[in-house]
Amino acid sequence: MNPEPPPVGGPQPRVSGLNCPNCGGSITLRALGQASSVVCEGCGSILDAQDPKLQIIQTFHRIVSSDPPLIPLGTRGKIRGTDYEVIGFERRTITVDLVEYHWHEYILFNPYKGFRYLTEYQGHWNDISICKELPSMSSSFNISPRVNYLGESYQHFQSADANTDFVLGEFPWQVRVGERASVTDYVHPPRVLSGEKMAGEVTWSIGEYVPGRDVWKAFNLSGSPPPAIGVYENEPSPFSANLKAVWIGFAALAFGLLVMMIGFDLFTMNSSVFQGAYRFTSGYPRAEASFVTNTFELGGRPSNVEVTTSTDLQNNWIYLNYALINQDTGQAWDFGREVSFYSGYDSDGSWTEGSRNAAIVVPSVPPGQYYLRIEPEADTVQPPVTYTVEVRRDVPVSSFYGIGFLALLIPAILITWRSASFEKSRWSESDHPHSPIIAEGN
Amino acid sequence: MFRQIYMLYGLLILATVGYAQYNGWSLDTMNQLKNVPKSVRDNPGSYRSVYSGYHHYTGGK
Amino acid sequence: MTPPTATCPNCGAKIVFKWSSSVQTVCDYCKSVLVRTDIDLQVLGKAADLPADISPIQINAEGVYRNKSFVVIGRILYEYDQGGWNEWHLMMNDGGSGWLSDAQEEYGVSFSAKPSAGQALPRESQLEVGRELTWDGTTYTLSVITQAYFRGVEGELPFKFWDKSDMVFADLRSSSRKFATLDYSDAEPALYLGEFVEFEDLKLKNLREFEGWS
Repeated sequence: MNPEPPPVGGPQPRVSGLNCPNCGGSITLRALGQASSVVCEGCGSILDAQDPKLQIIQTFHRIVSSDPPLIPLGTRGKIRGTDYEVIGFERRTITVDLVEYHWHEYILFNPYKGFRYLTEYQGHWNDISICKELPSMSSSFNISPRVNYLGESYQHFQSADANTDFVLGEFPWQVRVGERASVTDYVHPPRVLSGEKMAGEVTWSIGEYVPGRDVWKAFNLSGSPPPAIGVYENEPSPFSANLKAVWIGFAALAFGLLVMMIGFDLFTMNSSVFQGAYRFTSGYPRAEASFVTNTFELGGRPSNVEVTTSTDLQNNWIYLNYALINQDTGQAWDFGREVSFYSGYDSDGSWTEGSRNAAIVVPSVPPGQYYLRIEPEADTVQPPVTYTVEVRRDVPVSSFYGIGFLALLIPAILITWRSASFEKSRWSESDHPHSPIIAEGN
Repeated sequence: MFRQIYMLYGLLILATVGYAQYNGWSLDTMNQLKNVPKSVRDNPGSYRSVYSGYHHYTGGK
Repeated sequence: MTPPTATCPNCGAKIVFKWSSSVQTVCDYCKSVLVRTDIDLQVLGKAADLPADISPIQINAEGVYRNKSFVVIGRILYEYDQGGWNEWHLMMNDGGSGWLSDAQEEYGVSFSAKPSAGQALPRESQLEVGRELTWDGTTYTLSVITQAYFRGVEGELPFKFWDKSDMVFADLRSSSRKFATLDYSDAEPALYLGEFVEFEDLKLKNLREFEGWS
């Protein structure tokens, strides 16, 4: 018996024209299948709804539009520089925690390059092809937490059973509604390694995340792609690349800040230009309360002036009103501070409240001859207070560096928090929702 | 892209801190006054030199 | 696949249906609506269509594998319950025989191999998925056991063929592109060792032409 040569090409389709029963003309229809009654544009007669050919069209539309492919079958597009045609479409469903999730798969074909697959789930698309190499696994389908493939490490994301529930067009292997396969996904964003076991055969495929608008551009589709909802298993993080860069930047900037702080510590004059010791006894006539100091020189460039009050307060307070006055220009800075200090014992031990000393920094004081006018106030019945006043020129202000450090830190923390949220969102859909959050870089 | 913005922002922070320290800024609140009178005599409504030129009766009841 | 084509019953122009089960199209010339009456609508949505022969390779195609040029001189078309594949018989430029397997256009080139002395090939009854075997320093894992039958042959083949019906094949994969096949169509199992290749690497010439594709 001689074997026959393999058949070339498919069976020839049997075609009929849709003709108007009245005028015999061929019908030109728009909105096929959506119209409930069809009218002949030539003679105006209505086609018999029972016409078997019309029934074919309408049944076909009813079936196909139950879940119409977003990329119509027969459309051609360019993926990775090659033209592909969409020849098949299916919908598959997995059930996790009693909730059903479906996704769609599009079979793409090029007669020379073969097949590729596009999957779509809630607006997230993936470009998938079959692996030629096996990922590192000791046996064919045990689920391990990590798998290596082509030098990259993939983390287990989800295992579930997938059910096929709708199929259109051509597939490179027989696909029927009701088929079940065990599917396991491992991710290394933006890639996903997917293993499928069906009827004893295991197939591995490798996919890469594709934004919806790239799919629309590749296939020249009108309108916009469906919005991507949530974070998909292998969706690349918009933060991961920046995260590392920002923290490195932070380290550099914080170091710069430290250098600046040390530098200014050395550079500032921080010279003591005046010191005076005084004693205030309340109850004296008010007229004597305010007095002026001798003049002192504030040298150098316009810089700050620190006025420090040191007291011997014990369970007492004093309010000091200061004015720093330029002898020649009459420019003055007016400020006051209350200094108070209390201490005692109670059931928890000794306690203190307040401080014996206070310091104020006067900003941007031009050089010149200055004096202080001091006006103390205190409770009339309290004991006298002895205090010293010291004036220092051009002091380093440490709180600037503290504020600067925080200002540098906050954006880095923000981006870290956003990245962590993104990853948490990603893993919330997986079999490991409380997995340690690792921002995967590219 | 975010990295560049952050570095620029960071350098701005450093520059501001440096500028603040150099020019002697302060975080404390106070009032600035101009032309504080040097002495009690030094006020607009006080003694004027023109008063010194009038010592005699010039007329009138 | 190349979409199904036919001629317009009204004006005779060529018409194309967008995809394998599409039942309607419009003739570009006379604009009439045309309906396919041979599609089983009971199956639509429930089962996929199997492709017609889609391989771009044909007898007398030429190519290169690892710096050795070859000519395609024969073909075996296998079929099994999930689909089918081609094994193209290659004549290498050194006179040897090779095989180019073409399964849904995943291509692999393999050659008949003898296991090292003392190492026996497993019997058909000893086969199980997940089993590891080593030849020539590479470890292979048995991935799938297929029961297939031949669908057709063409051209020159290195052995008598047409009195076989069901045969068992074992496919083994590795962590690299190497693969192995155990062929149980004869009384003695036969071993083939090879590797998966990309279509471009074969630099194929004289391929079958497909209408509408360059």
